[in-house]
Amino acid sequence: MKPLWIVLLIVLSLSPGCAFIRGTYGEEVNQGDVAAIKKGATRTEVATILGAPDRIVEANGHEVHHYYRFDVKSGYILFFSRTNVKSEDVFVIFDQAGLVEEVLVGRKKPPLEFQFWPFDWPFDS
Amino acid sequence: MVLRVGCAFFLLAVVMSGCVRGPLAWQRFTLNQPISERDVAFIVDGTTRLPEVLDRLGSPDDIQSVGRWIIARYHFSDGRYFRADYGWGLRFVIPYSSPDLVMGGGGFGTDIFQVTCDAQWVVQDHAFAWHANSSEFRLWPFGEDQQQ
Repeated sequence: MKPLWIVLLIVLSLSPGCAFIRGTYGEEVNQGDVAAIKKGATRTEVATILGAPDRIVEANGHEVHHYYRFDVKSGYILFFSRTNVKSEDVFVIFDQAGLVEEVLVGRKKPPLEFQFWPFDWPFDS
Repeated sequence: MVLRVGCAFFLLAVVMSGCVRGPLAWQRFTLNQPISERDVAFIVDGTTRLPEVLDRLGSPDDIQSVGRWIIARYHFSDGRYFRADYGWGLRFVIPYSSPDLVMGGGGFGTDIFQVTCDAQWVVQDHAFAWHANSSEFRLWPFGEDQQQ
């Protein structure tokens, strides 16, 4: 039994422990809020629902308001760590009159997982 | 018995916040999920509209304007890093000093899927750029990649 304790003690002393960390950047855009934005809405109406955009770009005469959010989950166990980041983006595109022409929001991405195993093997093909 | 003790120590190791950094580390970073050729097979240039693409793939993370075209881009990044501190064990030989002798390395790559649309949001062309495979754990930092 003694050698087992020694081996386990060595493993413990080599171990840096574990950590699970969660972080987000930006506000989550509610799907209901997005659905409330209809074509033809004004900038003010959009800002009332979604707030100020994180970024504004000009694309082919259109004003594009970009709302984004990042979600981070990081797991660290023993010698292994994995950090997964997911971005959620909503684009509201205005025509030259300043009215909503398109709201680009895709299907909801799957929830982010806490993982610590950094290798593809043996779980991924 | 051995299994039970082993499990108990594993759990202890897992919950233990150690005072020292371990001698080995494998780290992985990913941004978003990869998109495959099969996922975008439904796109027909000149016919499919951008909102249909978003319904299937989710929203892009970037929209740019180039000339009269609008380009929507999806990014998937993958990074891997390995480090080994070969001097870690010296702390048991030289208690007052524990010099680091760290070797390792990694890589970071980003796959991009881009969709080019006209002013009516109709897809005109779409393309992939593959770079995520450039990410790898490097056990040995010296030497050059053998590329032709």
